[in-house]
Amino acid sequence: MTTETLLQRAAELLTPFTKDSARPESNRLDVAISANDLPAAAETLSNADWGYLSAITGMDLAPEADELEALYHFCDKAAVMTLRVRLPRAGRPEIPSISPQIPAAAFFERELGEMLGVTVVGTPDPSRLFLPDDWPEGVYPLRRDFKQEQAAPVETANRPEGGRVGNKFIVPIGPQHPALKEPGHFEFEVDGEVITGARMRLGYVHRGIEKATEERNWIQNLYLLERVCGICSHTHTSVYSQGVEKLAQVETPPRALAIRELVAGLERIHSHLLWLGVAAHEAGFDTLFMYSWRDRETVMNLLEELTGNRVNYSICVLGGVKQDILPEQAASIHQAIGYLEERIRYYLDVVSSDTFFLQRTRGIGTMTLDEAKRFGSLGPTARASGLRRDVRLDSPYGAYTRFPVSIVTDERGDLEARFAVRMKELLVTCSTIRAIVDNLPAGELTTRFPRKIPAGETVSRVEAPRGEVFYFIKSGGGESPTRLKIRTPSLCNWTSVLNKAVGHQLADVPMLIAGMDPCFSCNDRMVTVRGKKDSRSMTWSELREYGIQKYQGRR
Amino acid sequence: MNLLTSLFSLMIFPAGLALILSGLLYEWADRKLVARFQNRVGPRWFQPFADILKLLAKEEIKPSGLDSALFYGLPILALTGALTSALYAPILGLPPIHSFPGDLIVTLYLLSLLTISMGLAGWNASSRFSVIGATRSLTQLFAYEAPFLLALLGPAIAANSWTIRDVSAYAGSHWLILTQPVGFVIALIGLMGKLELPPFDAPEAETEIVAGALTEYSGRGLALFTLGKSVELVVAVSLVAAFYLGGIGNPLLFLLKTLGIVLLMSLLQALLTRLRIDQTVGLWWRFGALLALLQILVLILVKGWLA
Repeated sequence: MTTETLLQRAAELLTPFTKDSARPESNRLDVAISANDLPAAAETLSNADWGYLSAITGMDLAPEADELEALYHFCDKAAVMTLRVRLPRAGRPEIPSISPQIPAAAFFERELGEMLGVTVVGTPDPSRLFLPDDWPEGVYPLRRDFKQEQAAPVETANRPEGGRVGNKFIVPIGPQHPALKEPGHFEFEVDGEVITGARMRLGYVHRGIEKATEERNWIQNLYLLERVCGICSHTHTSVYSQGVEKLAQVETPPRALAIRELVAGLERIHSHLLWLGVAAHEAGFDTLFMYSWRDRETVMNLLEELTGNRVNYSICVLGGVKQDILPEQAASIHQAIGYLEERIRYYLDVVSSDTFFLQRTRGIGTMTLDEAKRFGSLGPTARASGLRRDVRLDSPYGAYTRFPVSIVTDERGDLEARFAVRMKELLVTCSTIRAIVDNLPAGELTTRFPRKIPAGETVSRVEAPRGEVFYFIKSGGGESPTRLKIRTPSLCNWTSVLNKAVGHQLADVPMLIAGMDPCFSCNDRMVTVRGKKDSRSMTWSELREYGIQKYQGRR
Repeated sequence: MNLLTSLFSLMIFPAGLALILSGLLYEWADRKLVARFQNRVGPRWFQPFADILKLLAKEEIKPSGLDSALFYGLPILALTGALTSALYAPILGLPPIHSFPGDLIVTLYLLSLLTISMGLAGWNASSRFSVIGATRSLTQLFAYEAPFLLALLGPAIAANSWTIRDVSAYAGSHWLILTQPVGFVIALIGLMGKLELPPFDAPEAETEIVAGALTEYSGRGLALFTLGKSVELVVAVSLVAAFYLGGIGNPLLFLLKTLGIVLLMSLLQALLTRLRIDQTVGLWWRFGALLALLQILVLILVKGWLA
C-alpha cells in the first residue's frame, strides 16, 4: 500500500471523530479530535491494524493560545498520522487513557502526565517515570510558565525498597546495582525463583534535554542532541539534521547523505557488538564478552580514524557532513569490515550452536508476532518476533534509497532469535558499507544553511541500532525550536520486557532486560546540579579528608 | 614431642600455612589461565595474596539484625573444615599425615562444611541476595554432592578400602582414569560444582544476585571464606589426582598432575555459559548421578566376576 492510500484509509477510519484535518506534509495527516473520542479512535485504529502508536507529544500552546495539545503519532510504513487533542490549560486537565486499547501507550502517558500536568484518566501506573522523587508537586517542566526556581527539591521520605509480601520477596534492581550497570530501577516480585510481578522507574539520568533545546539555537542543538545517547550519538544528530533540513527546505548533497549512512552503519556494528558482549556477560559467558569487545575495538578505531572521535563523532552538520572519506580511509574501511565480517560470522555460529549458551537463550522470553505488535516493540526486538518494522525500508530516508538494506527477521521470537537477528543484521550492514565506500557519490559535503527556520512542524524518523527514533520538531520561525520531542526505541521496548518477565525465573531477568538492548541514557535525558543542601562537588583531597573525619567521628 | 609434630602438621605443613600458600597459588593459576583463554592479560602471581591481605586489613562491617555468633563464627568454621580435611588428604603427593578407616567419608564431609557454612551465612543475613544465594548454594550442594561422593567411592571400591591412604596406594599401581573414566569426569565436574566455578556459579551470579550468600561479608569474614575456597581447591584437586591419576609419589610429578586438572577446569570455565539453578540440578540428577551409579554398579559386577 502506498503512503497515500494508507493516509486515505486512516482518514476514512477516523471520519466519525474528525473535527478538522490537514495534510502538513506529503506523508502526514493531522486529525483533530476531541479528548473524549480518543479511546474510541485508538480502538478503531488498533482494530483496523493501522500502524502503531509511535509517540505522544505534549505541547503547551501558550502564549498564542490558552490551551495544551497532545499529539498521538501513529506510524504505518512511511505514513504518519497524528491525532491532535486540545485541552484547557487551567489546572490539571483530564484526558482519557488509551492504554486499555494500546498497552504501549502506558509509558508515553506517564511522561505526558508528569511533564505537562495532564491527568491521564485510567492509565495503569500514573506514578512518576522521569522526574525525580523530590520534584515538587504541581510543577510541570514543559509548561511555558515553568521557571527554574520552581524546581527546588522538596523533602521526601525514602521510598520503601523491596520487602516481603507473604511468601514473596520484592527484589529491587537498580539504580545502583552490580547486576545492572545502568541507572534504572526495577522491582521484581519473586516467589522462590519465579517472577510474579514487575515494575520500573526511570529518570535517574534525566537531563531535560527536550526543554533545553528550546533555549538553544538550531546549530547549538546539534551538539546537545548528540549527547542524548552515548551509543547511537550519530543517530540523534542525523535524525535531527534530517528533520531541520526538511523544515528549512534545504537539499542535502548526496555525498553527505551517503557518508551519514556509512557512519550509521559503523555505529550499528559498534552498538550490536557492545550489546553482544553485555548480553553474553549477563548469561555468564564472559569469554564471548571479552572476545566481542576486543573485536569492537576495530570499529571504534575506524570511527576514530574517520571522524576523529570514538563516541560523539560530530560528523553531522545541518545541511551536510563535516568530514569526507578519503581514498586511503576507504582502504582501511575495507580492511576493517573484512575482519569484522569474519568475526561476526563466527559469533553468529557461536550464539546459534553453543549448547550451554542456547540453554540460556532458546525458548526464553518468547514473544509472538501478536504480542510484539500489541506491546509496540521496535527494532531488532520486534524483528526477532517476525514483525517487519524498519524505518530504513518502510520510509527510506537519506541515502537508503540509493544504498538499500535488506531486512532480517526471525519467526521464533525468543532470545536466541534476537541474537541471530542482530548478528545477521550486521552482516547486511557490512555489505552495505562496502557498497557505499565503493560508490560514494561525488559532490559537495555541505550546503548553505539559514539561521532561521520557517515556521512549521515536521516528523523525522531514523532507524537506530535499537529501533525507530522519532523526533517531532516544531519551529516558530525563529532561531530555536518551539518544541522538540524525542522518543527513543528503548522506551517502546520496556513494555514487552515487563510483561514477558512474569513467569520467568529470576535468573532469566538480566538476559531478558539485555535482550532488548536497553539504552537508559537516551531514555532519560537530563541532569542539572541543583541547589540541594547536601550535594556538592569535591576535590579528591577534600573527599579523602571528609572520609577520614567521618570515620573518626563514628569511632 | 608428639604434640610438637602435631602442632607443626596442623599449623605449618601440610595443613595451615603451606596449604594456604599453595591454595592461593592454585587460585592464581586458575585465574591466570581463564584470563588467557578469554584473551585477557590476567593477574600477576601475587594478586591472590594481595587480595587476601587487603581484605584482612579492611574493616569488617556487620549488618544490623543478624546473629553475631553465626556471622563471625561461620567463616572460621568454613576455613577450619577445609584445613582439617587436608590432614587426611595426600597434599603435594605426600602420604596423608593422619589416617583412620573411613577417613574418606569424613574428609568429604569436611569439604562440604564450607558450602554449608556459606549457606548458613546467607540465611543468617537479611539481604535478599544473600538469602537467594544461600538457597541456590544449598540446592546445588544436594545436586553435586551425591555424584561426587559416588565418583570418589569408585576407586575406594576398587581398592577395597575406605581409607584415603590405602586407596591412593592402590591407585599408585593402577591408573584408574583408564578403568573408570566416567568417575573421573564426574569427579572433575563435581569439583567445579563444589567450588562454585562457572558454569556452576549460579549461587554467586553477579548479574543476578550480586555475590550470593556472601553479599553482606566484607573484610576478614570474606577473606576467610575466600581462603577456605582456595584450600578446598587444593585438597579436592589432590584427592582427585591421587585417586584417578596414578596415586601419590613424586611431588613434582604430582604437582604437574594437579595443575593439569586445574588447566582442564579453567578450560571448562572459559568455554561454558552459566547454568540456571534448575538446569544445574537437572544436569546432575539426570546425568551425573545416574552415570556415577552405573559406574559403581559395573565396578561391583566386574569385581564379583573377577573374584
